[in-house]
Amino acid sequence: MATELPRLPEQLPTSSVRYVGKEVKRIEDPALVSGTTEFIDNLELPGMLHCAILRSPHPHARIVKVDASAAEALEGVAAVLTPEDVKRWANAHVTSPAGWGTHCVAIDKVLYVGEPVAAVAAVSRALAEDACELIEVEYEILPPVGTAAAALAPDAPVIWGEHGTNVIQQRTYNWGEVDRVFAEADHVITNSFRWNRCGANPTETFGCVCQWDLTDNSLLCHGAYQVPGFWGLARSFSLNLPANKVRVISHPQGGAFGGKGGARGTDIAALLSRKTGGLPVKYIEDRMEYLLAGSSQSWDRHYEASLAVKADGTITGLKVKLLDDQGATTETYGTISVAKPLAAFTGNYRIEAARYDTTLVVTNRAPAAPYRGYGPPPHFFVLENLVDMAARKLAMDPAELRRINYIRPEQFPYTIPSGNEYDSGDYEAVLDKVLKLADYQALRREQAAARARGRLVGISVVSTVEPGVFDWNAYATVGVQGIGVPEGARVSVDILGNITVVVGFNLQGQGQFTVAAQVVADYFGVDMNAVKVTMASTDAAPPHFGQGGSRLGVAITGAVLGACQKLEADFKRVVAHLMGGLPVDAIELMDGRFRIKANPAVGMTVAEVAGTMLGRSDLLPPGMEPNPSATSVWTAPGRNMPDDQGRCRSYLTAANATHVVMVEIDKETGRTEILKYFIVDDCGTRLNPANVEGQLQGAVAQGVGAALLEEYVYDEQANPLVTTFADYLMPSIHEVPITKRDFIVTPSPVTPLGAKGCGEGAIHTTPAAVVCAINDALAPLGVEITETPATPLRVWKLLKQAGAAG
Amino acid sequence: MTTKQLTTVTVNGRVYKREVEPRLTLADFLRYELHLGGTHLGCEHGVCGVCTVLIDGRASRSCLTLAVQADGAQVTTIEGLRNRETGQLHPIQQAFVDEHGLQCGFCTPGFIMTTLELLGDNPDPSDAEITEALGGNLCRCTGYETILKSVRLAAERLRGGRLAARTSA
Repeated sequence: MATELPRLPEQLPTSSVRYVGKEVKRIEDPALVSGTTEFIDNLELPGMLHCAILRSPHPHARIVKVDASAAEALEGVAAVLTPEDVKRWANAHVTSPAGWGTHCVAIDKVLYVGEPVAAVAAVSRALAEDACELIEVEYEILPPVGTAAAALAPDAPVIWGEHGTNVIQQRTYNWGEVDRVFAEADHVITNSFRWNRCGANPTETFGCVCQWDLTDNSLLCHGAYQVPGFWGLARSFSLNLPANKVRVISHPQGGAFGGKGGARGTDIAALLSRKTGGLPVKYIEDRMEYLLAGSSQSWDRHYEASLAVKADGTITGLKVKLLDDQGATTETYGTISVAKPLAAFTGNYRIEAARYDTTLVVTNRAPAAPYRGYGPPPHFFVLENLVDMAARKLAMDPAELRRINYIRPEQFPYTIPSGNEYDSGDYEAVLDKVLKLADYQALRREQAAARARGRLVGISVVSTVEPGVFDWNAYATVGVQGIGVPEGARVSVDILGNITVVVGFNLQGQGQFTVAAQVVADYFGVDMNAVKVTMASTDAAPPHFGQGGSRLGVAITGAVLGACQKLEADFKRVVAHLMGGLPVDAIELMDGRFRIKANPAVGMTVAEVAGTMLGRSDLLPPGMEPNPSATSVWTAPGRNMPDDQGRCRSYLTAANATHVVMVEIDKETGRTEILKYFIVDDCGTRLNPANVEGQLQGAVAQGVGAALLEEYVYDEQANPLVTTFADYLMPSIHEVPITKRDFIVTPSPVTPLGAKGCGEGAIHTTPAAVVCAINDALAPLGVEITETPATPLRVWKLLKQAGAAG
Repeated sequence: MTTKQLTTVTVNGRVYKREVEPRLTLADFLRYELHLGGTHLGCEHGVCGVCTVLIDGRASRSCLTLAVQADGAQVTTIEGLRNRETGQLHPIQQAFVDEHGLQCGFCTPGFIMTTLELLGDNPDPSDAEITEALGGNLCRCTGYETILKSVRLAAERLRGGRLAARTSA
């Protein structure tokens, strides 16, 4: 299937590519800058009620009694959802691994602060919140598990009694002769690392409007749904409905970055609607709810890791031992982020053997969620810091140590020890280009001069791979089933020749509607702005997933191209017939005209063919349907089942980037300032270059946040200490460096038009690059930071330890 | 429940009179009473700037302002910028489109309203002045580079196409 699609923009049926690969304005933007885009909280329905949720103030407690009588008696309250309702109507959320999911409202005990214990539907949100204050909940406090280490203690309270342990999964993967390469190494670099919780924080939180139809027992959910079909399917499990009775309408989303869960909010609003007899119920998560217990928190990790290195700098082995705190449940898919590093475990390097020792535990923190990058960003923070530590040990330049270990261009496709296959790349060309862009030697001279004056200036050169175009098999190791992630598009031409593309997902910020319009416009020779791209609800959409896993740009390109090809084939049949019964292959499509190859002056436009199909059925070839419309569903080819060590071809593409960062640390405060920032990347064909640049720079901002600012702090008893943006420090324009960027293009040989996944991008690289630069600055003092975020306090403590604090 | 108060607010040149609860925020008043949904809410505690509107010409957090506090005020929201008849975008809006100053677009109305105030006060801001003005607006998508460029372009166009005299401070 995919092998027949155009491999490069130049292969499109046009004499001059006008849109694909060009910097075009996004079709999404005029409505967004006007404030007219219908985000979910703008939706109002007749009779709509508003939901507020009462949440647990305790990390771990048994619910003795919930008394909602006073709330129910308040004028304006339509319904209160209690644990009894939920026990009767709902199931626990499905998880991977299985059996670690709770109900949308706690039914017997609460497992973390912020877990819903009851919910109210009332005529206004304010009144619903008033009613929540009238609900009396009696708790019996249980001892909490505050940290991952505490979860493993022999006398630890067991949070999930039915499992009898706080360990969700313990699994060790061995790839190659790990013990031998470490025994034969000249140097073994070992260190511990701590990645504290940070997370997505899209500017719009989750929201939905749910309506239960009691007549045919069906559910309609409007909402900020990143992956509509997936959420609909999950609701059929949690709410005991046939999947075809759950209809999901995804609204445009104010960002998501993986961290926009809505399972609980949807189930609660749906059950409140059911309890009110079918009135629509709106639930809008507020920021404090999001920070406390939305899908806001990711990557709570303790690492011990080692690198085996030869005297000449050859890196031969990598061992990573990970203790991962998943929080109280696994229902927000945090486990997957432990599995994903298998797709790029050894980064850009020819490392022959590796071991990954993983322990996933539950604690009484909020459930861990996905976040952009989904696991590799902390992994590369570990790997790249180890590479820098090796460079210091060997007294080698960090750029040169990386260079001699890179996978070489002629080695692609390249299978890494953990099983995934990288499609293409030229890492050395990327390195050379960024070193030149940065004038690396001049930076080093500048650093030397600064050091001579007693300043703490550091430089990093960090390389990472971005696995792109995910497949479910990448997550098989934590229990996810299946191969293939279908993404569909329907391309239709109306009687006057206007073209509409129907997809199964909505806007989220990456500009995929524009990409679809670009591809169709070049394929059929029409103006890009004349193409209408629209989302269908789950009952009408072709099979789809939506945004996720650096995949959708490639996937929607494949789906749209496939549909265009089917239309082209049908239109050629019509034209061949109308031209006096020519053979179909006598007709070709070029620049929007179906013309006779032997006589290109004779032909028909797309509009003429579609008009004939819909308006003159008497002229069509015998048996042909009057249907100028085609659907195609794309999935990555060549994916396979994992072996017993989790090895498989999972992510289809491997983009890569190298960042050069220069920082200075203030001795008085420990504060890090980013002085200069350079990026060269390679994500194959850049379908809309402005989109790609935006994704890159935006991911730098999130990477800077993770490296320097953002942290969900808990106390030892699992009480969250961060509940507002005054505590959770989001990077502003003052903290984010404007990067200098360039790129190379190594088209992917395995994707439509040669594009590689690039949506997650720089968050793979920036946290490692910033912290490596800090450690380069600290190196003369003999201290290093191995914990994120590298806050002023943490760095200042190290300065003090080294006797260098101002 | 408290007694409602009669509140008169002029929004985008049109006078609205409503009986509102004193606890109702200006943001909720605009969004739910007047159905002007272009003013979005990001944090509702005054940090993110997503809800920024102009109150008597000054950029303000509509989430931290009560509707009753805006009694008698002139409020400008994102809906007030585009030409109502033709739909033509305001030069600041067009600059954000042209420079890709948005991705998801949820924070964008807040940035545009802040920019409207900035360029009213200072038609030729330096990068440092733009950065200072936008420091109270959070964007999670763009990394701010294209927003900075959008404001520069908007300033240039609003000055009649003259190149910015100062591109950095």
